[in-house]
Amino acid sequence: MKALFFAAFAVYAVAVILQFSGTAFKRDKLLGAAWYVFLGAFALHTLFLIVRGVAAKRLPLSNQFEFANAFAWGVALMLVVMRARLRTDWLTVAAMPAVLLVMVYAALQPMEIHDLMPALRSAWFGVHIGSAVLSYSAFVIAGSISLRYLIAVRKGSADERALGQMDYLSYRMVAFGFLFLTVVLLSGAIWAEQAWSAFWTWDPKEVWALITWLIYAVYLHLRLRMKKRGTAMAWFLVIAVPVVFFTFAGVNTLMHGLHTYG
Amino acid sequence: MKKVFAFLRSMRFGILLLALIAACSVAGTVIPQGREIAWYARSYPSFHGAILLLRLHRVFESWYFIALLVLLCLNLSLCSLLRIRTVVRASGGEAERAASLPDTVLLTPEGVEKLRARLTDLRCSRETAGGVEVYRRHGFGRYGTFITHLSILLTVVFGALALYTPTVTDRDCMPGESIFMEDGTEIHVHDFHIADETGRLDYRSRVQVTLPDGRRSGIAELKVNHPFSFGAYKLFQQTFGTAGSVTVTNEETGGSDDFLLTEQTYLSADGVNGIFYDTLYPDYLRGPGGDVTLITVTEGSYPNPIYQVQVISDGVFTPTLAVPGDELTVMGLRFRFNAPVEYPGIRVKHVSPLCNALLVAAFTLMIAGLFITFFCEPVVVKLDAEGYAVAGPKPEHMRVELGEELREYEVSREE
Repeated sequence: MKALFFAAFAVYAVAVILQFSGTAFKRDKLLGAAWYVFLGAFALHTLFLIVRGVAAKRLPLSNQFEFANAFAWGVALMLVVMRARLRTDWLTVAAMPAVLLVMVYAALQPMEIHDLMPALRSAWFGVHIGSAVLSYSAFVIAGSISLRYLIAVRKGSADERALGQMDYLSYRMVAFGFLFLTVVLLSGAIWAEQAWSAFWTWDPKEVWALITWLIYAVYLHLRLRMKKRGTAMAWFLVIAVPVVFFTFAGVNTLMHGLHTYG
Repeated sequence: MKKVFAFLRSMRFGILLLALIAACSVAGTVIPQGREIAWYARSYPSFHGAILLLRLHRVFESWYFIALLVLLCLNLSLCSLLRIRTVVRASGGEAERAASLPDTVLLTPEGVEKLRARLTDLRCSRETAGGVEVYRRHGFGRYGTFITHLSILLTVVFGALALYTPTVTDRDCMPGESIFMEDGTEIHVHDFHIADETGRLDYRSRVQVTLPDGRRSGIAELKVNHPFSFGAYKLFQQTFGTAGSVTVTNEETGGSDDFLLTEQTYLSADGVNGIFYDTLYPDYLRGPGGDVTLITVTEGSYPNPIYQVQVISDGVFTPTLAVPGDELTVMGLRFRFNAPVEYPGIRVKHVSPLCNALLVAAFTLMIAGLFITFFCEPVVVKLDAEGYAVAGPKPEHMRVELGEELREYEVSREE
C-alpha cells in the first residue's frame, strides 16, 4: 500500500516538474503533458485512499498522515473540477505545487494503520474531518488563484475581465471554504460536548481553527461590505494560506492538546 | 454620542474586534495557559512579569478578552438590527427599481433569447415593470447575512451560558457502588470494563440514575462519545482506573473483609503486623532464573497483574510480589489477592438541557445563514430587447455568470 502512496507522490512530482518546465520555457506541449500526468497521479492517489480506507475499515482521516493525504487529494480534486468547469489552465500554476507540498508533509508522517481510538469512534468523525478537508482545500485553491492573479497583474498578461474572474473565483472558493470551516467548528463543538463534556475547551487546534475562521471572516467583510477587490485582497488570500497550513500541521507539530492523535 | 454609536455599529469596529480576538487567541496558544505562576517565572525569566501583568497566562478568562466578546456582541446586535431594517425596506419596489436601470450589457437578439431561456431555466419568476421584463429568484437570499450575524450573536450568548453555567464534577466509582450528589441524586455503576471481549478498548459502564424525587432511569450504557442524560444530569465516561482487590480473613474468628485498593494502604488488625499495599503492576516478565521484571505501562486491561506489597511482621518489612490467587498469612490474618477491578471515572455535569438545545439551534441557524448568504444569492435581472442589467443587493454572482455565458452575444455600444 505504501508503494501506491509513493507512486502517486512521484507522479505528482513529475507533473509539477513538467508544469514548471512548461511555464519557464513557454512550451504548451509540456504544460499539456503536465496536466495528463497530474490526472494520472490523482487517479493513483484516489486508488490509494480507497485501498487504505478498505484496509482500515473506516474513512482514512484519523491521523496526520491520513488527513494530509485527504487534504492533498481535496486540493487535487478541486483543481480537476475547476479546470474542467472553467476550461482554463491558469489555475494549475500554483495549485499543483500546493498538492505536492502537502504530499511531502504526508510522506514525513508515520504511515501505520491503527484502530480508531474510542474518542474518534463517533458519527461526527466523517462530518468534522471531511469538512476540514474541503475547507482547507478550498482555501488553498483560493490562495492559488490569488497567486496567479498577482503574477498576471505583475506581468500584465491578463485583461480586466480575466482578472475580475480570478478575483471572483477566489472569493467563491473562500465562501465555500468558510461555510465548511464553520461546519468544522460547530460539528467539532457538538462532538467535543459528547466526548469531553464541554463545547469549547480553548484547545490549540480549536483556537487556531477559530483564528483561521476570523481571518477569512475579515476577508469576507472587506470584500462583501467594503467592496475591496484586486491586488490587496489577492495578497490577503495568499498570506492566509500559511495560517491554514499552520492550523493543519503546525499546531499538531508544535503544540500539545486534545487533537494530538498522531 | 451619535459618533460613538455609529462607531460601535460600524464594520470597521467589527473588523477591529475580530482582529483583536484573533491576536489574543494567538497569544493564548503560544503561551501555555493556566500553569502555576512559578512555571512562567522559570520558563520566561525575562518577561514573565509582562505575561502576568497582561494576564497572558489566562488570556481566555481575562477581563479584556471577555470585554472584546461583549463588544463583539454589541457590534453584532447593532449592525444586525440596523441591517434588517435596511434589507426589509429595500425589498419593496425592487422590480420597479430594476426596470428603471439602463442596460449594462447589450446583446444581440439571439443573446436576449438565450438569456431569457437561461433565466427561465433558473426558475426565476417573471414580471413586467415599466414595459420591460424583470426576472427574480431567491428573494429570501437577502436575509442571509442577517441570519448569519444573528446566529453568531446567539452562539456567543448561548455558548457563554453553556460554558459557564453547568457544574461539573469528576468522580471515580467502583462497580456495584454509587455516587451521591449534593442534591441526593444517586448514580449507581453496575459494571465497567476497559476492553470488550475482542480486546478492543471501549471503556463501557452500565449506570442507573435515581433523582431526589424518586424518578429512576433505566440501566443505560455509558461510553466515550455516548453520554447519558437524565433529568438535569449528563454523565460522561471520562477516565478509568484499575484497583487492587484483597480479601482479608481473620483465621481466628473466620470473619473476612474485601478491600479495593487504589492507593498505598496499610492493612493490619493490630496496627503492627499486616501488609502494606504499595502498587499494582499491569504486567511482568519472568526470567529463566525466576527473576521478575515489572512492566509499568500497558494499554487496556491488565494482562498479567502483579501486586507489590511489603509484609510487616514484628517490625520487619519484607518486599513481596503476589499474583491474583496468591495468599499470604501474617500473624493470624490471611490476605488473598484477587483479580483487579476496573472502575470508571465519571464526569457528572449538571446542565440545563434547554441551554444546550438553544446553542445547537444557533449552530444550525448559522450554517443555514451562511448557506443562504453564499449559495442563495438573490437574483434580480432586468431584460429588454437590447440587453440586460443585473440589480438587487448582491449582483456580482449573476454579473459574472451571465457575463461568461453570454460573452459571444455581447455587442458594444458603438455597434
